[in-house]
Amino acid sequence: MASLSRLIRLAVGALAFLLLVSAGPVPANAQQVNPTASSVKEQQLLQELNRIQGRITIPDQRAGVLEQPAGRDWREFRNVTLRWIGGIAILGMIGVIVIFYLTRGMVRLESGRSGRTIVRFNAFERFTHWMTATCFIILAISGLNITFGRPLLLPLIGFEAFSEWSQWAKYAHNYLSFPFTLGVILIFLTWIAGNIPNKVDVEWVKRGGGLFGHDHPPAYRFNAGQKAIYWIVVIGGGLVAATGYTLMFPFYLSGIEGMQIAQIVHSIVAVLFVAAMLAHIYIGTIGMEGAFEGMGTGTVDVNWAREHHALWLDGQNARPGGAGSQSAAQPAE
Amino acid sequence: MLIKRTHQRSDRRGSVAETLAGQGGGLDRRTFLRKSGLAGGALAALGAMPVGSVRKAEAAVAGPLAAGATVKKGVCTHCAVGCTVTAEVLNGVWIGQEPSWDSPINRGSHCAKGASVRELVHSDRRLRYPMKLVNGQWTRVSWDTAVNEIGDKLLQVREKSGSDSVYWLGSAKMTNEGSYLFRKLGAFWGTNNTDHQARICHSTTVTGVANTWGYGAMTNSINDMRNSKTMLFIGSNAAEAHPVGMQHMLASKEINKANFIVFDPRMTRTAAHATEYVRIRPGTDIPVLYGMMWHILKNGWEDKEFIAQRVYGFEDLRKEVEKWNPQETERVTGVPGAQLERVAKMFATQKPATIIWCMGQTQHTVGTANVRASCIALLMTGNVGKSGTGANILRGHDNVQGATDVGLDIVTLPFYYGLAEGAWKHWSRVWEVDYDYLVSRFDDKKLMETPGIPLTRWFDAALLPKADVAQKDNVKAVFVQGHASNSITRIPESLKGLKALELLVIADPHPTTWASLAVEAGRKDGVYILPVATQFECVGSRVASNRSMQWAEQIVKPVFESKDDLEVIYLMAKKFGFADKMFKNIKVTNNLPVAEDVLREINRGSWSTGYCGQSPERIKAHMKNQHKFDLVTMRAPKDDPEVGGDYYGLPWPCWGSPEVRHPGSPLLYNTNLHVMDGGGAFRPRFGIEREEKLADGTTRKVSLLADKSYSKGSEIEDGYPEFTLASLKKLGWDTDLTEAEMATIKKVNPANPDAVSWSLDLSGGIQRVALKHGCVPYGNGKARMNAFGLPDPIPVHREPIYTPRVDLVEKYPTLPDAKQFRLPNIGFSVQKAAVEKGIAKQFPLILSSGRLVEYEGGGEETRTNPWLAELQQDMFIEISPADAADRGIKDGGWVWVSGAENNSRARMKALVTERVGKGVAWMPFHFGGWFGGADLRKNYPAGADPIVLGESANTITSYGYDPATGMQEPKVTLCQIVAA
Amino acid sequence: MARMKFLCDADRCIECNACVTACKNENEVPWGINRRRVVTINDGKPGERSISMACMHCTDAPCQAVCPVNCFYTTADGVVLHSKDLCIGCGYCFYACPFGAPQYPKVGNFGSRGKMDKCTYCAGGPEADGSKEEYEKYGANRLAEGKLPLCAEMCSTKSLLAGDGEIIAQIYKERVMKRGYGSGAWGWKTAYRESIES
Repeated sequence: MASLSRLIRLAVGALAFLLLVSAGPVPANAQQVNPTASSVKEQQLLQELNRIQGRITIPDQRAGVLEQPAGRDWREFRNVTLRWIGGIAILGMIGVIVIFYLTRGMVRLESGRSGRTIVRFNAFERFTHWMTATCFIILAISGLNITFGRPLLLPLIGFEAFSEWSQWAKYAHNYLSFPFTLGVILIFLTWIAGNIPNKVDVEWVKRGGGLFGHDHPPAYRFNAGQKAIYWIVVIGGGLVAATGYTLMFPFYLSGIEGMQIAQIVHSIVAVLFVAAMLAHIYIGTIGMEGAFEGMGTGTVDVNWAREHHALWLDGQNARPGGAGSQSAAQPAE
Repeated sequence: MLIKRTHQRSDRRGSVAETLAGQGGGLDRRTFLRKSGLAGGALAALGAMPVGSVRKAEAAVAGPLAAGATVKKGVCTHCAVGCTVTAEVLNGVWIGQEPSWDSPINRGSHCAKGASVRELVHSDRRLRYPMKLVNGQWTRVSWDTAVNEIGDKLLQVREKSGSDSVYWLGSAKMTNEGSYLFRKLGAFWGTNNTDHQARICHSTTVTGVANTWGYGAMTNSINDMRNSKTMLFIGSNAAEAHPVGMQHMLASKEINKANFIVFDPRMTRTAAHATEYVRIRPGTDIPVLYGMMWHILKNGWEDKEFIAQRVYGFEDLRKEVEKWNPQETERVTGVPGAQLERVAKMFATQKPATIIWCMGQTQHTVGTANVRASCIALLMTGNVGKSGTGANILRGHDNVQGATDVGLDIVTLPFYYGLAEGAWKHWSRVWEVDYDYLVSRFDDKKLMETPGIPLTRWFDAALLPKADVAQKDNVKAVFVQGHASNSITRIPESLKGLKALELLVIADPHPTTWASLAVEAGRKDGVYILPVATQFECVGSRVASNRSMQWAEQIVKPVFESKDDLEVIYLMAKKFGFADKMFKNIKVTNNLPVAEDVLREINRGSWSTGYCGQSPERIKAHMKNQHKFDLVTMRAPKDDPEVGGDYYGLPWPCWGSPEVRHPGSPLLYNTNLHVMDGGGAFRPRFGIEREEKLADGTTRKVSLLADKSYSKGSEIEDGYPEFTLASLKKLGWDTDLTEAEMATIKKVNPANPDAVSWSLDLSGGIQRVALKHGCVPYGNGKARMNAFGLPDPIPVHREPIYTPRVDLVEKYPTLPDAKQFRLPNIGFSVQKAAVEKGIAKQFPLILSSGRLVEYEGGGEETRTNPWLAELQQDMFIEISPADAADRGIKDGGWVWVSGAENNSRARMKALVTERVGKGVAWMPFHFGGWFGGADLRKNYPAGADPIVLGESANTITSYGYDPATGMQEPKVTLCQIVAA
Repeated sequence: MARMKFLCDADRCIECNACVTACKNENEVPWGINRRRVVTINDGKPGERSISMACMHCTDAPCQAVCPVNCFYTTADGVVLHSKDLCIGCGYCFYACPFGAPQYPKVGNFGSRGKMDKCTYCAGGPEADGSKEEYEKYGANRLAEGKLPLCAEMCSTKSLLAGDGEIIAQIYKERVMKRGYGSGAWGWKTAYRESIES
């Protein structure tokens, strides 16, 4: 401890010394000063830092940034790069789903319905899911509107209508971010236990998740695909929330460059998120027989559980009271 | 939302900012304006567009908004440059400002203050009605009640303590007419305790410069600086104090490739444009100037012919200069010899050269000596009385030159006539009032002829033992009309003074710190606030720094219950019962004296200074014909029917009666022109010869008249004394006088008409005849390097009272204690005690103060203007990075500043910057409304508090007064700064 | 048609802030909105320069390009204006602007930027020239009256120039030629992709 504080003192002392040296005695540093001859040059400053910043008297210090040509790079990203990324990700995903649906069709319950159900998601879980999902859909649409609305929608409905809609979309985007963020947090906490990757997932992935053919790789409550969605929601959601709030509360967290980066992260993550959610929605609805019930009513057919989450079902059965529509009062481990 | 954070971060002040932002002021205002049936817009006929205006003709469809607006011309009230303000008025509402392209002074330009003056008038934080402090609460009263109660109380004080116990503090913000009447009110009341801001800005200039060559004013003009080849700024930050003036200075720098040299302890915004910046230790102006002169004399760069013909006392000066060799100069000032030699060479050889100064030189215990040293430097190099040269002394307030000239002062009656019996008799003749009546108004005739108390020391006059105050009693009441209290040093002691007063009257558009500090001092009653209109609601003349007089129209009527300055003065005079006498020759309508009549009375009495030719009609014609005046010479073409041959604003001296049509004198003491073209010579004001003691004990008589130098066309081709009837007779020119003139002369002095001089002759005949023969009425003398009669006839360096260089105090002590202006000046004792107590160790930083471009003076008015207030929201202190690092102070962080006296301390933000050198700190002096860390917002009458409040620099400033003028010392003291 | 531009001659600018208050005065700009501002580079050091900056009315303006609702338009004079009726206050123009020009009034408690406000070159907005509606939303329309922006007209040292780009560039070039120095037409390269070399 003692040596550390000595080191600090030394460093401080050295710094003070340096400052003293650079400041010099009162008048000596004033010699030969011709302020006109040595005036600052714009190009030189821009080359050094790619921004020009100075002193300003108003308390709003962000106004001290005189020039930040980085805005041009951001513009390129927003108007070109992002539209490509978003277009490819979303249209690509839709294309994949369509092809998959056409080739594979709905994944059927191979053993048919048993007639017996088992609780898969309790009311709280479902509430959390649907709150987040609803918010997500609105956020996604309003968000996509910011990126794609101007070329796609505006020409169709005209300036006034488009502005009106976009204004409401902006409000919705801003306000729904709060329940969405809450949802992401709840999802994270509620389902973290079932979403730690393990060896079973390796096997599951190796077998392609059973998407092709009639394979049914075993899984606990959440298979690797669901875990992937979980982590996409948690990490992606966390990122869009964090970056979104950076944008919503400008200058609380970062300067203008930070906000540009935040917007870049926000928009890329968001379009990928949207793409991923399209897959999630597909597999949870028309992609797989019996899957929607889990989040719809909260219960699934035991046969569905056996085919897709054999290990989870085993676990449920092993519990006192065994599997039964009334029994699983609490969520799985 | 973008702005929310800023406000939250801005601490206490945030609440105000928040309120304002919440009001969405601008949008409401726009709506308000719309309701007045207008907005934006203007007359497209305003003429002259700047280069680059392309879409002029085709788009002159000025919309429905501009329709019906009238254009009025006023003069900006925020500094002495004299910018014309062009106002558009609709339905009595001032709806917009337009650039004043026609003015040769500002050519359309403004600074932050000038571009926002409209808000001053329509501010909703103006005082609305008279108020009185009752049991510590501000209570509304009527004007009648206020005037009656104030008058009764003043008469009561007068009865008990004598007429000198009321202090009349006027303002450089008043028009000439206002300040003249205020001085006249003092005279009729019976006191010389009438002062105004010139005391704390340029009193030392007036005294020092007048004692050098005759008149204490700027010799040339800002426009004339366009002719300069070398400009030496010493103690001027024109970029912030006179921004529009910088237009002309930078033009000179660019067009003439002029040297732009800035001497300053701070690397100011002016210094940023310098071709050479010299950092000096605060308070060492004299050594640095002498250091320059040492090089000039050593190299023989002085103007020998000029010195021989027009300068007195050169050899005495040489002895003093020789002490300031480069080693000693650098030891004292910190400026290396090589740099000073370079600057000296430029100054002395690249001519014409001028010295520009402001309060950096004047606000010192050695202020008078400082400005004298500057004048001496100019004299030595022959840089006076020609275009491009001279002492370009930039004044601070819009009419501080005029208010000084009209004698709102403690040492003289109007126009520098002094206080002697002859002066009183002159004015009693002008006023057509019995001299004996005036004498009867005073406590005694001796006090009538004794200079009054400087405003810098009003509280000393209230607090010192009665025996120490050389008048009947202490000051018991202060009537302040248009002067800040926070611009006066030693605020902690002024607080005691506020408590001690029996009555305080504040007549102002804003409550000012007089009000908030009076409450803070514990007063519960005996304070009145009278709402006075801004100058934009008044009509009258004002004199810019360059002595040009401009007539300002009334832009809008006084708002709320505000009254014109002149009306307030009239109401008081009426209450005191001498209004009939005082306004004998001035028409008064509805209690408002007619400004034109007042100016005519001024014309009739101001022969000494040449305000006699500036009739209201002539000045108004100048405002109307502004576009005819040349940018550089400021002269109108000779063939113009209205203003032909005149210089803009008839810069005084404008000799003779208006009928003489003297064009004004743009450059003082200019022998290259005929006196009827504005020429002149140095004024022999201090006798015509002087007996000098020689080394061998013998004496010789030395002439103080010019030697073979005279203004162009003069029939006397040598020096000559001032003109009197006797001297006219001697020359045989008395026959040129008309009978009427002769009759008037005889009336002036029936006993001895021969003694009637150019300045006392109410007919103007003596002046007219002198002019006719090409002679300057006041004579043709030598300028004085040796100004015998001043405390330091030859300027000598004296360390500031509180100096960090205690090692120099023994060699360069301040002057001994003495009694000056009715009060003791104990500067010497204070300095000695400070050295003995080791004050410089406890308070190691030099503290200086100065101006911000956004604010003016005490700043209440400008801090109430949101457009300005937004730009400077916090009081701050500049500290060098090195000093800040030593103290763990961060840029923008809070600090406590403590001063050397009264355990004073103040809380403000730190601005860590290399503008100041190590060991120096600097504060702006415009803030007020905090004291010792406490926010005094609650002390203001509700709704009349300025938007921005902050600690006053003068809470920390300390003792120190110039012996010749009573000037305070806000530029050098000591302080300590710690992080809060 | 002329191509209106701003040019701040930093060798003349003294940070007097006249441009700032002239703007406030002419357009009744509320507290907290700074359409124009003066920034000092290298404060207190040799070579210090102050520059007055507002919307530069860029060629191919970034704000216009990134606006999600396309509320910007460029007038025949090259002035970049926007419609407050269309603006949704998203802040994108602020991210794109190289000069920090867009300003947002605070409305509501959080997350809701009001309609963007910026320098209009004293040229109003989409409403009829000189109309009350235009004045209320955007401030003065001096250009329609044949006048230039008040900030430049009132500049204390004639540092801030406004007018046709070619003419003010010419004035600046002549100044630089005459006096022999010039720190450049600040922002021109970024805003107009051109620089003035003398």
